[in-house]
Amino acid sequence: MPAAAAALTMAGRAHVDERPVYLDNAATTAVDPRVAAAMAECLTEEGVYGNPSSSTHRYGREAAQCVEAARHEVAALIGAAPDCIVFTSGATEASNLALLGTARANADRRRHLVSARTEHRATLDPLRQLEREGFTTSWVETDGAGRVTPAALRAALRPDTLLVSLMHVNNETGAVQDIAAFGALCREAGVLFHCDLAQAVGKLPTTGAAAWVDFGSFTAHKIHGPKGIGALYVSPAARPWLRPVTFGGGQERGLRSGTLPTHQIAGFGRACALAAAEGAADAERMAALRAALWEALRQLPGVLLNGPAEGGSPAILNLSFEGVEGESLVTALTDVAVSTGSACSSASGEPSYVLRALGRDTGLAQSSLRFSLGRYTSRRDIERAADAVCRAVTRLRSVAP
Amino acid sequence: MTAAADGYGRDLDPLSPLTREQFTRLDRAGRFDAPGAGGVRIVSGEAGREALGTRVRFELRVDGERVLEARFQAYGCPHTLAVANWLAGEFAGRRRDALLPGAPADWAVRFEVPVPKLGRLLVVEDALRACLANWPGPVQ
Repeated sequence: MPAAAAALTMAGRAHVDERPVYLDNAATTAVDPRVAAAMAECLTEEGVYGNPSSSTHRYGREAAQCVEAARHEVAALIGAAPDCIVFTSGATEASNLALLGTARANADRRRHLVSARTEHRATLDPLRQLEREGFTTSWVETDGAGRVTPAALRAALRPDTLLVSLMHVNNETGAVQDIAAFGALCREAGVLFHCDLAQAVGKLPTTGAAAWVDFGSFTAHKIHGPKGIGALYVSPAARPWLRPVTFGGGQERGLRSGTLPTHQIAGFGRACALAAAEGAADAERMAALRAALWEALRQLPGVLLNGPAEGGSPAILNLSFEGVEGESLVTALTDVAVSTGSACSSASGEPSYVLRALGRDTGLAQSSLRFSLGRYTSRRDIERAADAVCRAVTRLRSVAP
Repeated sequence: MTAAADGYGRDLDPLSPLTREQFTRLDRAGRFDAPGAGGVRIVSGEAGREALGTRVRFELRVDGERVLEARFQAYGCPHTLAVANWLAGEFAGRRRDALLPGAPADWAVRFEVPVPKLGRLLVVEDALRACLANWPGPVQ
């Protein structure tokens, strides 16, 4: 092996005996042991394993009590009344219910929807389905940091607008939207407002959310709860506008049929209670770690920040690395688990549509990495990640023509 | 961490072991500093564009009709870098008229390159053909 080439190999890297640093918490988080314990109490014969709908016996009533206690904890995180919470399988189902359920129930009255191309696919795909069903969508432009301005939203509203769907925190860039302003605008215009809150809860103060939105989608597994459980907040004013999209049992006030998964809901409730109690401290710690990671990586030449320089999510840092192909970069990062905007890593086979919508060219969208922090991210993790990224970027640039 | 498979027995690692091994090594990456003594010379060729996702450059240190050693430089996905690294190691001792060890379709099979990425191997082949174009054959 040539000496120069030998220097390029990853041999001799540190920490080979450790698990990779996990910086993909915007994708999902590890379940908090306190949440796991709450879930375990609902699984075995000694626990609360009854069907919450079986009110004729004690097992069912205990399970129903457990579900309702969790509903209070989930509702409190967004400042809602408990009876406004509809449990779903996650934020994707919650958004589908809000968008499809509202649009189909009001198709004979209004057929215009408003959203942005930087939304999550859990919003974009139902909207595309509604377009196939005869609805039209106006796509509001974002600024360079990925935020929709209230003025742009106001300009998109029409007399026949039924619903606006805009997220609180962008899942790729961490851009934070002014949903209080959006909510006020929509209310003034008599338009329903759906908000994807999935990346906001547990990271930002969200106890005011229920006052601003008509529908709010969020999920447990982004806040150290279990996968497979989420919720749709439905405001009392919006409830008459919503119809179910699934049928078979009439649970959740008829809006989401199906046996309630007591253990998932108990875990969701516990995760929300922990987020309410510890979220502010977690966010402060994550913000400091995010700043440290950005400070370390910006020492590399050709590193671009995707998203707002200030005021973004404390948990998300999205960067593009000039002269490096994204899939190779993420492959070289054997010691760090992150997401990339590279086409090969996306379900669509296209580079990040969010970064493209923000004006990044294909190459920079391809070369992006999203670092997302969580409750268990440590300073040591950040140092390891920064070191690994610097080595990988330097190595890949050195083999490029 | 151990290798994982899906419910159909397919490996969940998107890269084959050979691809991962070559990508991790990249021991043929770089350029030659000088041709060397006597009639030894360096021929090079490149193809592709970074904006399109793949750019590859090969350098061959040749003595007359025979390759002594090869190097490559590449911007691209792991499959591109792995195949280029492997090819650069295959050229030593090969003659000009039999430089390529097979065709892109053969490399794709060897490295288990997914069908949507076959075009990237054509860029690798184009870079090698550019090398051959810059390596004049014997005067007839």
